Amino acid sequence: MKTTGKLLAAALALTATLAQAQTFEQVFNEQRALYGKGHEFTFEGQTYTTLHPEELEAMAEPNRANAQALIDSADALRAQSAEVGNEWRDPARYIKQARAALAQEQFQQAMNLAARAKYQARVSLQQYEHSRATWHNAVPE
Amino acid sequence: MRRLTTALSAAAVALMLSGPVAAASGDALIEEGRAIYHDKTRGNCISCHNINDPVANLPGNQGPMMVAMKQRFPDKRKLRAQIWDATVANPLSIMPPIGKHWILSEDEIDAVVEYIYQY
Amino acid sequence: MKTIKTCLLGAALSLLSPLASAAETGFSLETVDPEADRLALQAYYQKRFPGVPLEDYVNGIYAIDPDSRKQWDALMEFPPYEFDLEEGEVLFNTPFANGKGYADCFENGGIGIRQKYPYWNSEEGTVKTLEQEINECRVENGEQPLKWKRGDIAKISAYMASTSRGKPFEIDIPENDPRALQAYLDGKRFFYTKRGQLNLSCANCHLQGSRIYIRADLPGPTLGHPTHFPVVRSKWGDIGTLHRRYEGCYRDTRSVPIPAQDEQFRKLEYFQTYMSNGLPVNGPGARK
Repeated sequence: MKTTGKLLAAALALTATLAQAQTFEQVFNEQRALYGKGHEFTFEGQTYTTLHPEELEAMAEPNRANAQALIDSADALRAQSAEVGNEWRDPARYIKQARAALAQEQFQQAMNLAARAKYQARVSLQQYEHSRATWHNAVPE
Repeated sequence: MRRLTTALSAAAVALMLSGPVAAASGDALIEEGRAIYHDKTRGNCISCHNINDPVANLPGNQGPMMVAMKQRFPDKRKLRAQIWDATVANPLSIMPPIGKHWILSEDEIDAVVEYIYQY
Repeated sequence: MKTIKTCLLGAALSLLSPLASAAETGFSLETVDPEADRLALQAYYQKRFPGVPLEDYVNGIYAIDPDSRKQWDALMEFPPYEFDLEEGEVLFNTPFANGKGYADCFENGGIGIRQKYPYWNSEEGTVKTLEQEINECRVENGEQPLKWKRGDIAKISAYMASTSRGKPFEIDIPENDPRALQAYLDGKRFFYTKRGQLNLSCANCHLQGSRIYIRADLPGPTLGHPTHFPVVRSKWGDIGTLHRRYEGCYRDTRSVPIPAQDEQFRKLEYFQTYMSNGLPVNGPGARK
């Protein structure tokens, strides 16, 4: 009886958490999924656009310093994903291409490539956390 | 006439987005979507979704066939969202999150939507 | 949003079930029950493909797809691994420079032991595979280790499997060492975890996706998966080990690959082979 009570409370608590679970990330993804890039939406009274943070970074002035910074931060996230054993195929490829572009002083190209690498590395880390929390749902009973 | 309207709306879209789609006509967009759909290294949608197009080669059936798209998705944007991340509707889905994982670019997704929405 | 609604609905309809079921099916070291997992997997396939005898799952996709089976039966009239098997036997029986041989490294001279691999090695605190011990045998006797994925190691492993044909797999998870159960659990989690840019788990193709076309390919069932390795795979054009296949599968998810015999793959093999306990060894095999 006592256990049931506890479980019930836990279930209700879970329900409460889920009810407020529409995070910025979820709203953002929903909007990007429906409308693609550059669509405006509001979240908790603020206006945002459906551009990934990495895409916004790639809109900074295309110069050596900005390109280098974006490449470095992309590579740092890529290294994090490697550390947890969940590195995707492409971030390292894009970073390599970005470095080559930077060497040729194609700053915008370098920034675009680094942004895509950084975005993918960030999502690979999200995937890692999410998979660890949900893998059991796929097990047959 | 139809061609004119699609061309016009594509132009409008291109204007709105100021650039990236660069005045692709509706037909060119559909052709682009078709190429992506069947190309193994791009969308490779055909590996799981059959479609009634003569170029379809060795279609898979992990996912539903691309038919009656307008009936199944009266709102074309819902179709776009399903492609962008199919795990929202079904977390166990085998379908890769094409947009969320940036497997295709947003423009490429738009092209695929135009292509399959004819069926 | 939709997910949240479904979750809410689920929570409202069956307040207790999500929490209660987590305790039953075993996703933590305290609750994981390998035997329950094995029976649940068998039940899953028997429901999914009624009438297919369990032993037949050692034949992979050919157990559950009659059309592929016909082509395979024709192929198997002259099994493409015959030469590899002969070479494997010669390699196995050729003494090392120091006069010793593989037979000296294994229980029962290496004959009829495939069904015990992989196993939990308590002294080393890790899962050991047959291929690993083939190479350790070489190194202990002053020879160079072989490459893991193809060639001689696959041939020797193939010969050793052939001497064990018909023996049921008997993978043991020793109860006196909780690290063994942890290794099994890690392997199980690996199998069901989505990964890579394509967000695929092993289970996506080889459980849910069994016998459903991906282009011209029909993914085989996970039940019976490891029993027939090593295999000559038409796609490869030669013989290869289970870990060669693992590496390819892993790469196909668009992940940065992990190498054959990596600890994660050995744990996966431990889980997968445990799932096939009771099914007979039938390696080497041939696959499309």
